[in-house]
Amino acid sequence: MSETDQTRRNFLFAAAGGMGGIAAAATVVPFIGSMLPAADTLAAATTEFDVATVEAGQLVVIQWQGKPVFVVHRTPELLKQVDGHDAMLKDPNSEAIEAVSAEWITPENRKYRAIKPEYLITVASCTHLGCIPLFKPSPGRAEWGDSVPEDWPGGWHCPCHGSLYDVSARVINGSPAPHNLHLMPYKYLSETRVVIG
Amino acid sequence: MLEKMMKSKLFGWIDERTGAEAIIKSQLTEYEVPKNLNYMWNFGSLALLVLVLQILTGIFLAMYYKPSAALTYGGYTVAFDSVERIMRDVNFGWLIRYMHAVGASAFFVVVYMHIGRGLYYGSYKGPRELLWIIGVVILLIMQGAAFFGYLLPWGQMSFWGATVITNLFGALPVIGEFLQEVLRGGFAVGDPTLNRFFSLHYLFPLLLVAIVGGHVHALHVVHSNNPTGLDVHAGKSTIPFHPYYTIKDAFGVGVFLLFYCYVVFFNPQMGGYFIEVDNYVPANNLQTPPHIAPVWYLTPWYTILRSFESKLIGVLAMGASLGILFLLPFLDRSKVRSARYRPVYRQMVYLFFVTVIILGYCGHSAPTPTLKLIGQISTAYYFAFFLLLPFVPMFEKTKPLPEEI
Repeated sequence: MSETDQTRRNFLFAAAGGMGGIAAAATVVPFIGSMLPAADTLAAATTEFDVATVEAGQLVVIQWQGKPVFVVHRTPELLKQVDGHDAMLKDPNSEAIEAVSAEWITPENRKYRAIKPEYLITVASCTHLGCIPLFKPSPGRAEWGDSVPEDWPGGWHCPCHGSLYDVSARVINGSPAPHNLHLMPYKYLSETRVVIG
Repeated sequence: MLEKMMKSKLFGWIDERTGAEAIIKSQLTEYEVPKNLNYMWNFGSLALLVLVLQILTGIFLAMYYKPSAALTYGGYTVAFDSVERIMRDVNFGWLIRYMHAVGASAFFVVVYMHIGRGLYYGSYKGPRELLWIIGVVILLIMQGAAFFGYLLPWGQMSFWGATVITNLFGALPVIGEFLQEVLRGGFAVGDPTLNRFFSLHYLFPLLLVAIVGGHVHALHVVHSNNPTGLDVHAGKSTIPFHPYYTIKDAFGVGVFLLFYCYVVFFNPQMGGYFIEVDNYVPANNLQTPPHIAPVWYLTPWYTILRSFESKLIGVLAMGASLGILFLLPFLDRSKVRSARYRPVYRQMVYLFFVTVIILGYCGHSAPTPTLKLIGQISTAYYFAFFLLLPFVPMFEKTKPLPEEI
């Protein structure tokens, strides 16, 4: 018997073991991949809604991709409440991340965050930890007590951790939520029919 | 590598609390295995590999599979649709399902090779009787798990296969009808059956894991047989399991995976042998498919069942054909283990292997008078093989055994 070539043996061991290890690690891809949303889940992606069914000043919560979505019919008074408190907002122009903006945003509708300013459509999940904020549209504390600050411009108050949003769903300074409520792509099929997603 | 790890501080810490070093030594690095094992001894570790693969893929399939016979808008059922959803919509669902379906057949391939090796080399003989018996229990649980699993896609073959098999139990006297109702949970195979079969299909592999543990433990008490069937003496004719047989088993795994992956990726239905074509037709309790046969790994026993005119005798014969495996260690009275040194037994066991294959072929084909006769002759030999064993040593002239392997 000749002497064992230990270097050669170690190389072969590392090479074979390494390849086996890579192969074993690669099998993780299909298994974890299978736990991601399936194609049909991703395909069930649009929701149609008739905004004419929402009364002036009313808020409804509908579903889109299994997520809650706010549709608010903003009266002229409510639309006025959008102005005058930019200094209180973390991100008045909705530029911090992609999700708070949308393709249809123009300089004109930026502060309203809606294609038609009277109908605001946004994802209803607080950007802090996902609760659905409560709609508290009237300004000041008259209707809401001390759940909102004294200079409350009207908007949403999240019951979970106290995040505040204005009537364009923009997050107010001091809230634990980092971002404005998310927007999503949507378009008007007719005067009042909207397809979301 | 292992020695280095075992010298580390971390290992020392673990060892103090678990006795890991003693376990590794007694089960791996100082576990003595005969040095002359051939490749037939690879199938045990392969069976373990396939068991792990089946459990792994099964867990992921269960995340999407829904055991319900409720109708859907498409006119199918929730269960059938959920399987199709796995195939079409779930990421890599096709791969995981094919791995599982092909894995079921692969499991039986390696286990039948493993059993055949045990038969040929006399691995069932003393002192390994209990090891063999535990193995037969594993086989029965595997067949049960496969049967339960086959119902789940809720296709035509699933439904009618389950109908036929649950009717078999109904043929038994006294307890038959009771057993049948317990299995079905209704007057016919239906939604409750599907639910309980799913539950049992998840349970049986857990039993398998526990009993396979017992099988390996029993093996490590009596140690491996070898192609000569001789008792071996530690040190002289043995080598430690690690690294010698870990490497050889790993090589076997590589070769096995080559075949397995080929089938999974290129021929997952194996021409209707691994996944029957009719099972892509949704279950219809008002129409039986024109030709119905079990999957290949159950067909030998199906032929034995069909070989008798009386339903009850057929069922009992099928039970006996599996039950007699338990008695094998006690039926064979020869002092020599391996067929290498037993000229008569060697011919008998070869013929037995051929017979099982013929039985399998007959069971898979549509019944004809010729095939029925062939099936009956094969069934006769199947039992004759076992029942002749006590008498073979009376006239068999065994070849001289070598002194040492």
